[in-house]
Amino acid sequence: MRMLRKVGWYALLMLLALATTGPLVWMVFTSLHPPLSPLPTPGQLFTPSRWAFDNYAYVLTFTGIPVARYFLNSLVVTAAVVALQLALCSTAAYALARLSFAGRQAVFAAFMLTMMLPATVMVVPLFFMVHELGWLNTYAGLIVPYPYLSTAFGTFLLRQFFLTLPRSLDEAARLDGASELQVFWHVILPSSKPALATLGAFAFIWTWTDFYWPMLATSTTDMRTLEVGLSIFKDAYGGTNWPLQMTAAVIVTVPALAVFLALQRYFVRGVVLSGIKG
Amino acid sequence: MKQRYVSRQAWAFLTPATFYVAAFSLCPMIVAAWLSLHDWHLLQDSRPFVGLANYRAAFADPFFRNALFNSIVFTVFSVPLGVALALAAAVLANQRLRGIAVFRTLFYIPSVTSGVAMAMVWLWVFMPNQGLINQCLRWCGGSGDTDFLGDTRWAMAALIVMSAVMGLGPRMVIFLAGLQSVPENLCEAAEVDGCNAWQRFRHVTLPTLAPTTFFVFVTSTISALQMFTPVYIMTQGGPRRTTDVVAYHIYQEAWHRLNIGMASAQSYVLLAATLLMATIQFTFMRRQESVLE
Amino acid sequence: MLCALAGCGRVQDGRTVLRVADWNGPAADPAFATSDRAIRADFERRHPGVRVEVESIPGPGQYVPKLIMTYVAGIPPDVITLEADSAAVFIDHGLLEDLAPLIRGDSAFELAGYFTNVVDMARRDDRLYAVPLDFTPIVILYNKRIFDEAGVAYPRSGWTRAEFLETALALTRGRAGGGAAARYGLTFSPEMPLWLPWIWAGGSDVLSPDGRHAAGYFNSPATVESIRFLVDLVRTRQVAPRLSATAVAGRDLFRAGEAAMTLTGHWSLIEYRADRMELGVADVPVRDSAPATVIYAAGLAISRASRQRALAWEYLKYMTSADVQRQRVACGLAISANIEVARSREGDGLELQFAAAIPHARAPWGARVGRYAMIEDLGRELMEDLLGSDLPVEPTVSRTAELMEAVLRQP
Repeated sequence: MRMLRKVGWYALLMLLALATTGPLVWMVFTSLHPPLSPLPTPGQLFTPSRWAFDNYAYVLTFTGIPVARYFLNSLVVTAAVVALQLALCSTAAYALARLSFAGRQAVFAAFMLTMMLPATVMVVPLFFMVHELGWLNTYAGLIVPYPYLSTAFGTFLLRQFFLTLPRSLDEAARLDGASELQVFWHVILPSSKPALATLGAFAFIWTWTDFYWPMLATSTTDMRTLEVGLSIFKDAYGGTNWPLQMTAAVIVTVPALAVFLALQRYFVRGVVLSGIKG
Repeated sequence: MKQRYVSRQAWAFLTPATFYVAAFSLCPMIVAAWLSLHDWHLLQDSRPFVGLANYRAAFADPFFRNALFNSIVFTVFSVPLGVALALAAAVLANQRLRGIAVFRTLFYIPSVTSGVAMAMVWLWVFMPNQGLINQCLRWCGGSGDTDFLGDTRWAMAALIVMSAVMGLGPRMVIFLAGLQSVPENLCEAAEVDGCNAWQRFRHVTLPTLAPTTFFVFVTSTISALQMFTPVYIMTQGGPRRTTDVVAYHIYQEAWHRLNIGMASAQSYVLLAATLLMATIQFTFMRRQESVLE
Repeated sequence: MLCALAGCGRVQDGRTVLRVADWNGPAADPAFATSDRAIRADFERRHPGVRVEVESIPGPGQYVPKLIMTYVAGIPPDVITLEADSAAVFIDHGLLEDLAPLIRGDSAFELAGYFTNVVDMARRDDRLYAVPLDFTPIVILYNKRIFDEAGVAYPRSGWTRAEFLETALALTRGRAGGGAAARYGLTFSPEMPLWLPWIWAGGSDVLSPDGRHAAGYFNSPATVESIRFLVDLVRTRQVAPRLSATAVAGRDLFRAGEAAMTLTGHWSLIEYRADRMELGVADVPVRDSAPATVIYAAGLAISRASRQRALAWEYLKYMTSADVQRQRVACGLAISANIEVARSREGDGLELQFAAAIPHARAPWGARVGRYAMIEDLGRELMEDLLGSDLPVEPTVSRTAELMEAVLRQP
């Protein structure tokens, strides 16, 4: 009976896992079929007429759609956004969690409020603001406005973590004559690596997979990010060359997936700590 | 004196982030509000002030009303389905079984993969004939030629199912955290009283999870109202505008029809709907906040 | 990278960059892509120190909006591939350079060498905004093998709807046991650019002659009758597949030999010829009117903001020259707008048949009406509505006419 129940649980788990990762598996294996081969049936999926690993070389060196260049752009933008995000959010969170000052509640409430603003609403005005700054189609335009996605979220997340650190830590440092900056840099930040990793992981995934903003903010081939490039790749082939389209899709997906697998436990912590990003 | 010093220090720490939030969150909102009161075609230089005319026109426009309706349909169906699926997944993933951590990871994966890539893959899942679902249907003896994304009766349903699976991970994790707080002794007491598993779930677990469930509901609703990428990649609002949701409609209004004023007014309508949900969320979070502090 | 940050990019590796936008056309066709690259490499050889950078904007309905975004962003390409059906958007908003002075000042260029009705699509009074590359009329293509096998005579030029229907019925073959037909007389797309010729060949139109009104034109009795004729081909006559049947097949029924006729342009020949299909060209059937059809064309234009005007003009002349045109149309993409090249290919019977449609072909509305893309969207939705349901034709068309009128009335 217990055994039977166990089998039942596993069956349900497998079913759900199939729904969440089945499409991904299909994506990976379809990408290894020779170009222009018809859509594989589940039976053919694992037995292509030839294992076409060269699809990856082909897509990465494709002339019309420079996937390698997109990759570089995505990397530059994402790295910069993560760094920017960590710097902005940690300082603000420190003030909100550790320092008492008039208007703290009000500032915190204002931050929380901006967290609710839908990105869809901000994108149209942001476009014109970035245009006024002369940043359209530049790295600056791709990187700088990004915190609209999550500065408030990141601040909230780090603040929640800082609140859990014992007060005695910074009190002791202050008694030794450390300035607030020293306390922040030498005491709080080193104790908060898990929280910083959490925020970094979220910022990475959000930026890497964002589509709407880079689509609007870039208009030349050499400034596109991978996510936008992938949609262009799809349009160029118009659904006629699944193996190559899936190759491009895998190339876009792998970095995000790698970051997730490496920093998985921080994701869980972040979700629990904040409950955001439903 | 000390107080003022600390205050100045605090502001030194706060300024960069505050500046950012002001510049790239609040400022766009003000710009959008200003734009929504003007009639501005992107390629025309004049942008006359028109008051609330854009809002009136938006509500009179059958296509925008259709988009609002579609967004509501999407939200009303995708949110409960997504939440129920996530709760079920959390209960499953909360079992003490060997390798359960692997399953948790697998459930989370769709929400960290590229939205465009996933939309392309799901395009295949829903394809007629060679698509995954149709192949399964044929295997079960069906005809297997339903064009899910091309059929007005199915397209929206397809997007709803997809979003429930795609958003599973974070919701499940929140529920898992909630499940930790379900008191074990209560469950045991119920078991002693002869309650079966379902009754225990229904009368002990579910009530304890109520705040979590509510929270997940609200956040999911907010993100459901903003759904964009799947529509852009998979249906372009079709067939016959049955998946033309508000976020996609705004995109089209602004960047295809170039009516920036109108698009801004429409985005404020979306904002109003979102804020309504956010207010509820905020009140709720404040309550949780006081628990944490 | 620094360069990208500063947003420049005019000069790269010491070379002048000429940015050219196109919609990626048949770039997935390897032969065309190769010849396209060779053509540009040759241009770069002739102009040392110049690099041609192509901005491809693929995707249905993406080209015009994304291109306009480059103008808004202040970084439009120097040369734009202009499609006749969306030319008005660019011309009316002053985004293009008037080429007339350049043409007048260049004795090496002769505009008379290009088909006049194609050139005129980008003309406003004495200003000219594009030099045409190539074009195609929309015609009926038919599969000769299916006609022969069914013992049906090939269409005569100027055939009527009654004759067409008779032919289509004779070609349609039912499947044993009923259900969807095994072979259809005709397959056609709900995309308005491809069914518009039925309305024109029926002697009426979509918009008023000044292009300002749809009400009273799109729902005029003659237009409604043309649309009803089309819809009935699917609904009652069943000589054309339902939309769902086309989608389910997931392929071009004409190419698969499951439909004997299709409405399309010259570009389809790339694939059909690769399959060695035996094809014929027929006019769009008329009601009791003169034959008519629409021409879709591509031309090259220079961006008003371009700082490379002289170089861009050299590129235009080069791309539209007889030598380059001969290479470009070799793959079957379209008919060259360069009369000399087009004539030189008419030894091919099919090309000659295509050429026969040119005299009665007209520019699409999009060459004159900036908002026509929205009219075409509404048209497609109407056709999808009518073909996918049993809605009554006349009221549905009238409702669409009202929506079209509303689109045109917007200030």
